[in-house]
Amino acid sequence: MIDPLEIETKLLDFLKREVFASAVVVTPETDLIASGFDSMSLVRVLLFIEQSYGFWIPEGEITVDALQNVRSLAATAARILNAR
Amino acid sequence: MPGELPLNGCDFLMLGFDREMRRRGYAGNSCQIELELDSAISPDALRKRIAELATRHPILRAHPGGWLMPKWKIPQENSPLPQVRVHREHSGLREKICDEPLSPKRGELFRFDLVERDGGRMNVVFTWAHMLMDANSAEHFVALVGRDDIPLPALEQPISTRPKKPLMERLKLARKSVLLFDEFIKAPPRSVGVRFPDAPKVQRFCVERFSLEETTRVRANASKVCGALGGAQFHAAAAMIELHQLHQRIGSPSASYVLPMPVGLRPKGSVEPLFCNQVTMMMTQFLPRHLDTTAAAVAVLKPQIAQAMRDGLIEAGVAVADISRCLPLPLYLFILKSGLRGEICSFFYGDTAAVTPLLTTFCGATVLDFTHVGATTPSPGIGAIFYSFRGELRVTVFHLETHFTAAEAETFAKGLRSRLLNL
Repeated sequence: MIDPLEIETKLLDFLKREVFASAVVVTPETDLIASGFDSMSLVRVLLFIEQSYGFWIPEGEITVDALQNVRSLAATAARILNAR
Repeated sequence: MPGELPLNGCDFLMLGFDREMRRRGYAGNSCQIELELDSAISPDALRKRIAELATRHPILRAHPGGWLMPKWKIPQENSPLPQVRVHREHSGLREKICDEPLSPKRGELFRFDLVERDGGRMNVVFTWAHMLMDANSAEHFVALVGRDDIPLPALEQPISTRPKKPLMERLKLARKSVLLFDEFIKAPPRSVGVRFPDAPKVQRFCVERFSLEETTRVRANASKVCGALGGAQFHAAAAMIELHQLHQRIGSPSASYVLPMPVGLRPKGSVEPLFCNQVTMMMTQFLPRHLDTTAAAVAVLKPQIAQAMRDGLIEAGVAVADISRCLPLPLYLFILKSGLRGEICSFFYGDTAAVTPLLTTFCGATVLDFTHVGATTPSPGIGAIFYSFRGELRVTVFHLETHFTAAEAETFAKGLRSRLLNL
C-alpha cells in the first residue's frame, strides 16, 4: 500500500520545481487550474507519475474533481495504484 | 545601462523569419493585438508607463545588432523609446497600421497606435516584433502597460535559461527531433504555400466570436471528447479536420498534415512578460484517414503528445534551439528557406493562456473588446489563434489572399465554428 501523502509530497516538489513560477505559492490545497495549470502541465504530471510509479492514470480518472488540487490528484493516483 | 543580452534559439528563428519575410516583400515577422476602449486615453500617460517598465526591462530599449551572431544591444537609458502614435480614424487606416513595418534595427520592437473614434471611443493597436516575445508574453505586456495596479513579483527566470543538461545529452535529444521528421516524411505533407512561392502576399483575417453560452458549449464538447483540460487539443483537432476539407475543396490534396503544437515554456502563474520566445513546437502529424471526426483526430493527437513528451521531445526542442543559437544567422536563413517550401508545417496554430482576465481596463479606460492578429504566414498561408476575452472564446483565422480566396477562408472559419459547437 502506498501512502497518498508520499505521492502528494513528490507531486508538490515536482510542480514547484518544473511547472509553476516561483512566485506562485503551491500547497496541497492550491487550486491548480486557477493558478495556471494547463493541458501540457497535466501531461507532464501524468508522465512524472508514470516515471515514478510505473503507471499512466487512465483518461477517465482525470476529472475536474481529481485536478482540483495536489491532494485530490495524489489521492486519485494512490487509489489506482493500490487497486492494482 | 548600456550592454548586451543574448537572444535564445527561438528568438533567433523569429529574427531569421523577420529578415526572410522582408526579403519576400512582407512587413516582417510582427503580430498585433487590438483593444477597443470605451474612452480615449492619454498618449503621454502611456509613454510614461512604458518608460517605467523600460527601467525594469531595459530590453524594451534594445535593438538587434550584429549580422552573423546577433545580440540585443542596449543603448543609453535616455535613448528614444518606441513610438506611441495618435491617429484619427479614417477609411484604410487599419490596413495602413497593419502593413507598416517595424524598424527593429532602430530600436522599434513594438509600437502603440491609438485610433480616435467617433463618440470619444478609442482603439489601441499594439504591434510587436515576434523576435522580442511570443503571443502569450505580448498579452501579459499589454495588460501590464495598461494597468499599473498589478503587483510585480521578483523577475522570473525563464525555463529555457535554467541549468541545462550536458552538451552530449542535449545533442542526443536534438537528434530525436530529426528522427521524428524522418517518420513524417513517409507520408509527405504539402502545404498550399508550395503553389505560390514568389507571389505577392496580402494577409487577411476574420474573427469568430463565441458568446458565453457558446463558449460553455465548446468547453463541454472539449471535455466530452478530450477529458479535463483538453480545450487546446479539441481546438487543434477541429482545425485540422477543417484544413483537410479545405484542401479537398480546392483540389490540393496532401498525403498528411503536420501541425506544430506550441508548448509554452513560461512558468505557470507568472504575471509578467518574458522578453524572449518561451515556446517550443511539438510536431504532430495527421493522415487523411484520421480526419473524419473530431474524436478520431483527438484519438491520434493525444498519444502523439504523450509519446513526444515521454521521448523528451520538449527538451529536444529546447536543446535544438539552444544549440542552434551558436550557429551563424545565414545558416538559419538557409534552414528557414528550406522550411518555407511548404513541407514542414500545414497550419499555424496558437492557443494563448487565459491572461485576459487582467485586461479589463487599459490606462483607466474600460476594454470593450480584444482581438489577436496572427503573424503573416508565407507557408502554409493559413492559421488560427484561439484565445478568450471576458470568458468568451475567440478565434482569429488569418490567410494569405494569394493562397486562398476570402470565400474559402470564410468557409473554413464557419466550418471550424460549427465543428467546435456541434459534435
